[in-house]
Amino acid sequence: MQAIADKQGVKRYIISLTVNGDEYSPVIKGNTLLVNLLRDGLDLTGTKKGCELGDCGSCTVLMDGKPVDACLVLALEADGCEIITIEGVAQHGELDRLQRSFIDNAAIQCGYCTPGMILSAKALLARNPHPTEPEVRAAIAGNLCRCTGYVNIVKAVLDAAEVTA
Amino acid sequence: MYLPDFDYYAPESLTEATGLLMQLGTSARVLAGGTDILVKMKSGLLAPSALVSLKNLHELRRIRWDADRGLAIGALATHNEICNSAVVQEHFLSLSEAAHKLANNQIRNRGTIGGNLVNAIPSADLPPILIALGAYVTLAGPNSSRTVPVESFFTGVSRCALEPEREILTEVVIPPQKTTGSTYIKFGLRRSGALAVVGVAAAVTMDGNVVRDARICLGAVYKVPTRAIQAEQVLIGKTWTNDLLEQAGRTAVGCCLPISDIRGSAEYRRDLVRIFTRRALKRAITQGHV
Amino acid sequence: MSQPTPAGLKSSARTYTHPGLPEPADKDYAVIGKSKPKIDAREKVTGQARYTADLKFPNMLYGKILTSPHAHARILSIDTSEAEKIPGVKAVITHKDVPTLKYGISPARWDENIFCIETVKFVGDKVAAVACIDEETCYKALKAIKVEYEVLPAVLDPLHAMDEDAPQIHPEYPLNKNTEIHQNFGDVDEAFRQADYVRTDMFVGNRTYQAPMEPHTATSIWQGGKLTVYSSTQSPHYFQYYIAREFGLPMGDVRVIKTYVGGGFGGKLEPTGLEFAGAVLARLTGRPVKMFYDRAEMFAHNRGRHRQYMKLTTGVNADGRILGVHADFIMDGGAYTSLGIATAYYAGAMLTLTYDFENYRFDMNRVYTNLPACGAQRGHGAPQPRYAFEAHLDNIAKDLDIDPLEIRLRNARKPNTITPNEFVVNSCEMVACLEQARDISGWADKKGKLPAGRGIGVATGSFVSGAGYPIYRTDLPHAAAMIKVAEDGTAATLYTGATDIGQGSDTVLCQMAAEAMGYTYEQMKIVAADTETTPHDFGAYASRQTLMSGAAVKEAGDEVRKQLLEMAGEMVDLPPERLSVRLGRISAKDNPEITLTFEEAARTFFVQKGPLMGRGSYAPPKLGGKHKGAPVGTSPAYSFAAQVSEVEIDEETGEVAVLDVWDVHDCGQVINPALLHAQVHGALYMGMGESIWEEVRFDAKGKIQNPTLGEYRLPTALDMPRIHSSLVPSYEIAGPWGVKEVGEGATLPTMGCFRNAIFDAMGISVNSLPLTPEKVWAALREKRKANGEDIWDPMACECFLE
Repeated sequence: MQAIADKQGVKRYIISLTVNGDEYSPVIKGNTLLVNLLRDGLDLTGTKKGCELGDCGSCTVLMDGKPVDACLVLALEADGCEIITIEGVAQHGELDRLQRSFIDNAAIQCGYCTPGMILSAKALLARNPHPTEPEVRAAIAGNLCRCTGYVNIVKAVLDAAEVTA
Repeated sequence: MYLPDFDYYAPESLTEATGLLMQLGTSARVLAGGTDILVKMKSGLLAPSALVSLKNLHELRRIRWDADRGLAIGALATHNEICNSAVVQEHFLSLSEAAHKLANNQIRNRGTIGGNLVNAIPSADLPPILIALGAYVTLAGPNSSRTVPVESFFTGVSRCALEPEREILTEVVIPPQKTTGSTYIKFGLRRSGALAVVGVAAAVTMDGNVVRDARICLGAVYKVPTRAIQAEQVLIGKTWTNDLLEQAGRTAVGCCLPISDIRGSAEYRRDLVRIFTRRALKRAITQGHV
Repeated sequence: MSQPTPAGLKSSARTYTHPGLPEPADKDYAVIGKSKPKIDAREKVTGQARYTADLKFPNMLYGKILTSPHAHARILSIDTSEAEKIPGVKAVITHKDVPTLKYGISPARWDENIFCIETVKFVGDKVAAVACIDEETCYKALKAIKVEYEVLPAVLDPLHAMDEDAPQIHPEYPLNKNTEIHQNFGDVDEAFRQADYVRTDMFVGNRTYQAPMEPHTATSIWQGGKLTVYSSTQSPHYFQYYIAREFGLPMGDVRVIKTYVGGGFGGKLEPTGLEFAGAVLARLTGRPVKMFYDRAEMFAHNRGRHRQYMKLTTGVNADGRILGVHADFIMDGGAYTSLGIATAYYAGAMLTLTYDFENYRFDMNRVYTNLPACGAQRGHGAPQPRYAFEAHLDNIAKDLDIDPLEIRLRNARKPNTITPNEFVVNSCEMVACLEQARDISGWADKKGKLPAGRGIGVATGSFVSGAGYPIYRTDLPHAAAMIKVAEDGTAATLYTGATDIGQGSDTVLCQMAAEAMGYTYEQMKIVAADTETTPHDFGAYASRQTLMSGAAVKEAGDEVRKQLLEMAGEMVDLPPERLSVRLGRISAKDNPEITLTFEEAARTFFVQKGPLMGRGSYAPPKLGGKHKGAPVGTSPAYSFAAQVSEVEIDEETGEVAVLDVWDVHDCGQVINPALLHAQVHGALYMGMGESIWEEVRFDAKGKIQNPTLGEYRLPTALDMPRIHSSLVPSYEIAGPWGVKEVGEGATLPTMGCFRNAIFDAMGISVNSLPLTPEKVWAALREKRKANGEDIWDPMACECFLE
């Protein structure tokens, strides 16, 4: 991380991070949040803003494999980290089994919570390939959904887990 | 929402970090997980001139057990790291469970035990169980460090014994103890992402059915997490019965002074203190683990 | 067992026969009735779906609105000079820079200005706006605008809003009366005189908020004299109409485009300050301006559920048959009308649907207060009165010692009847819904037999399948559609103004188009909800699109099929009526040897006759009576639902755990079962939230105390019960293929159902929403006190603290 100052004396920082496998070295202000770097700086708008206070989980991304609210992470704190956003879940146009399962189980309505839900679920299945229903619910309890009552989302995650069995 | 401007530092050592704090003066703040401070900054409650990030102080992440010192948890250990730590689960499962009740999964992946303590809100989930287990914290200054029991760490709402312009909370230690059972019960208004309306932690040392020692700590019902010493005294030396636990619960209500707010009235909270003190004690006595 | 009808009283509904075609015997559908994946699913799971806030335009600015910190205050001065000096601030506007024509979504009461001129009327009222080079500068600029206020006394208690000495909020509406309703059907007084039992109960509904996950955003762009607005909207048409009106433009010069919308639930039906202020800022700066609300501002803009005070009096026979009902309500409207006139009428109108009674009086005052304006939230005015009535009916059942399910069966509405307020009900499987809910929930084994702390409750609901009349007076059809088949026949595009806000209308309308055309769903494409490219449709509200937009789509699809079969007939030398087409394969009805593909016929059509297109539109028949307010609640068709829920209550803390909910719906022919059940889940979820968790709270100065998703608690995945969504066979003669609504109906029974389950478990009645643990705790203590039990007083114990 390097710091430079602009004409007004406001510092800018050069950081390095990996997003969806690609290396980036953006120049950011100290107060830039990871969610804004992703959305505005890298045009990865699949990461949504719903509350900006860590209450809704719409901005969930994986930071070194763990789901975090990108609205509560300074971009500076992600220096040197590996970030996965929803755009990095499908590989070479092939949907991840979770994405397929969300489609097959009608687990999507407005779709605004969907990126965060899928990333929370992905992190769960990575550390716990065969979760119980309560474990699935606990893993996505930080992702609010206003459309589905979570019924089909829970089903979709359990189904995707079964596929790996 | 946006964050006000600030300078940012990410020191490589604790000495460098405390030195920076001294140099930057009173309006600098330490940044650990950020889940509390960034919310305060976005909400306009805090506008520090500088943030000193602890992200490079990897030694503050460690969780270790030592037969002499007990369980030492680095201040930067996240709630999920505490929750999932085999060492924590082996020695103080109740702490692991308390960490799991906090906020939600994303917050638990960022928020740290040090931040949870320094933030010093009355409804915090970790202080009651840490106080019940007799934990203390290490506060490191530029030239020396000191230890403070968690029980006397909090001095008011959002206030604690840490001197923010020179000290960093580095470690939380739970000493080895004879405690036979402990637990933390949180009553929130939904099952995730809710602050405690009342939190009760209890730790007991049993000798058969006789209570040799008991520590009860109440959260969210006073300006600081508070011991219910008079309630403990109801129990110590007695053979436990449901009536005795109810009596301890009622006594605990006298050890708190809850306010009425949008999460609950004072009257409701006081009755919840009775109920959950009784239930926490029963669980600590009967569940068979610490 | 039924008792004779008292003399001189009508006791059951008039009957009615719809003139339409009866239910077809052959319902072997190829595309509808199948759980097709959502047409936009891939975009949504990959992060490719772009919502309004995700759009960027060259040279785009960001804009924000400055709002009032006071509930009621006179604006003495506004000084924008400091804000204008901040680098990156491109424009600052106040009421002096914008049209002062009052607007609103309800034509009877246009009472809002783009910016307040003389007084601000709630904390959050619009005062000024800025356009800046980035978000951060917007917030800094807002802070630099200096507004001098003279704080005025505010009306915060709706029950005192009509007092003679209450402060007046809008000088033109004395006594703060926004909407006053007195409707009378049959003879309620006589019904009460003749009733064996008359009971009165009082209930209070809570102010809740739609809380879509996507905050509202609008981006305005002027090109020449023409305005384009991208918005998170439920109705491009109403936005276009009201924006054009405000700026004095022909509608053709205003284009409103819906992108992906992250949920609406009623809150995105009317244009906001974001569209109006954004349009002005875009014109002033000559640059695209993206305006957005953050979450706290969403709460302040609100337009959510009204708080209602509901007094209900009902007279019944000894066997529980309802003879007459009097509903007497007061509704806290907040500072502006929004959709509240309709909400107020809906509150009373919809009470007549699920049970058959002929004598009904409805009195209502919707009052202005200095709180954020309320509007339409899922179920519109109906859910709270439904909660109140279902609770009231359980009280009556208990007093008369009648099983709650039985009293509902005795009163359930029958098909082909007319309500006292002149709603024509064609299909109605209320009885079947109740019976199935009873059977699948195990009611008989549970009612009165559950262990201590457990309870079971039942409630019903009914909702419109589209409003019979649009929001403003117009003779436009309610929906229109076009289908364009590609030149080689391998794809077809549906153009519809119908608005998918997540509920899945794009998907079901494509299924309907494919069914009508004899085509496959997989080959369908859709262009929707863009006022320039798609035909008019009123949008997503009042659960209207499956029936109304669907009828237009079916007509368009039928027209394509007709032309296609004529072409195919020429190609195989058979009259078109001897051909059929299904899933893209054309065949002769009496000779399976003769086949042709849709593609072949469509391509030939294009070569010989030009584009193969179909058109359709839909207007409902004239509906409703002649009394004042008669149009509100009219609909071509009504859905019906029964819910049973089982709860477990912590008898000490009052915590309510909902274990299971069984929802049984009568929603006509199902187009997409998976999406339909998903709608039930979501509607039930919203009803659950309002039942137990959700409530917008205000401090003593009218400021929202919980404008965050941390303190306004939507249920999380851990809070939800097991949900069992089930259907009864049903066919609606007024809907294409027999369809009717589902999206809002399941919100209606939920609150009353939980209340009744708690009533069953503990014998306590919580008469205000939400049914929080603390209210249940307090009611349980009251009951124990009343039973003479010794209650320990937590306030009276010895205090050991100083």
